[in-house]
Amino acid sequence: MLKMNSMNNIEYVSSLVENKFKVNKKEIISKYQISFEVEKAEVHRLLTLLKLEGWIQLSYLSAIDWINDNEYELIYIVMNWEKAVHVQIRTRISRENPSMDSILPIFPGCKYYEREAHEFFGIKFPGNPDYAKQLILEGWDDIPPLRKDFDPRAYSDAHFSKREYSETFVNLNKEESKQGTREKRKERIKRVRKGGRK
Amino acid sequence: MESTKFSLLTKEEVDRKWWEIGDFFRRNSLWMLMYCTGCCAIELPPAMTSAYDMERLGMGPMATPRQADVLLVTGYLSLKTLRRLIYTYEQMSEPKYVVGIGSCTINGGIYHDSHAVINQLDQYIPVDVYVAGCMPNTEAVMNGFVDLMRLIKTKKANGWKKYHKNNAWYKKNQIDSLGEVYVKDEFHE
Repeated sequence: MLKMNSMNNIEYVSSLVENKFKVNKKEIISKYQISFEVEKAEVHRLLTLLKLEGWIQLSYLSAIDWINDNEYELIYIVMNWEKAVHVQIRTRISRENPSMDSILPIFPGCKYYEREAHEFFGIKFPGNPDYAKQLILEGWDDIPPLRKDFDPRAYSDAHFSKREYSETFVNLNKEESKQGTREKRKERIKRVRKGGRK
Repeated sequence: MESTKFSLLTKEEVDRKWWEIGDFFRRNSLWMLMYCTGCCAIELPPAMTSAYDMERLGMGPMATPRQADVLLVTGYLSLKTLRRLIYTYEQMSEPKYVVGIGSCTINGGIYHDSHAVINQLDQYIPVDVYVAGCMPNTEAVMNGFVDLMRLIKTKKANGWKKYHKNNAWYKKNQIDSLGEVYVKDEFHE
């Protein structure tokens, strides 16, 4: 049944989830978005339930590195085309040897999101045959780059040469300044426009 | 009987004359290959269309690297794009020129400390003209093209000769930053 009132949709999905699952934290972000934080073991059942109820599209899957809590937070965003509510499912997993079972049987579209999360955070996704293949970075040789303990400046300094500016950088070849030639060019254009008269 | 007024030209002199004729036509009909990597590419539509009309300088877009004279690098280059850029540059026929647009190609710009973006383009391929700015306005881009024409006229746009001469140095820099310049593509293997 199509429900037009979006606040009803929020109430519908929160009663649906809270009746069957233990929700650690619930947040209504806007009238089109709601977020639930659940235990790691319940994610697959919850996603299955939402898919049966019409949240058929996996919009996004990513991770956040909470380095002070020593945890990663995984976020699954699913979308319903008939009830205009994006549902975020959040879960915390340990930062040591992070691993999360793949949701490939539920949402086949997660294949590339999981590869991306593995590449940028080092989270393993057993169940997804391709999760360890490289996707965006080619031949990466350091710890995953979106982890908070990775230092991008140190990596950049070590791998890419930096331009050094010295006093003699300006007018290195004893050429006349480009600004001067430009001024002359403008003068000439002005003169030509007036038909050669001053 | 040999002329007393005119002597036959040597091969070098004939070559030089042909190069001058070639350079004249080349600089008045530059075909660009636009490698639009970053946000500076947004300056090219006004430069190409009626606002600044690049065609009056004889410049036009070209779809393939084999037929293009100028390679425009507009903006930041990630490691992944740099591999493709080196492939593209080596496919272009000589003489070839490179124009680097935006401060990202000069010193990294606002991405100077990123793990994925290179800092200096001229370490990997030779650059003839830089257009500074973040992003440069369209007049600056057009000025850059006129500068390139002037450089071709005065025979200073010889980046492609440098690439031959210092090939080992460029290759070493490419390997140092990229690991290997081989493009892996799982969808076309």
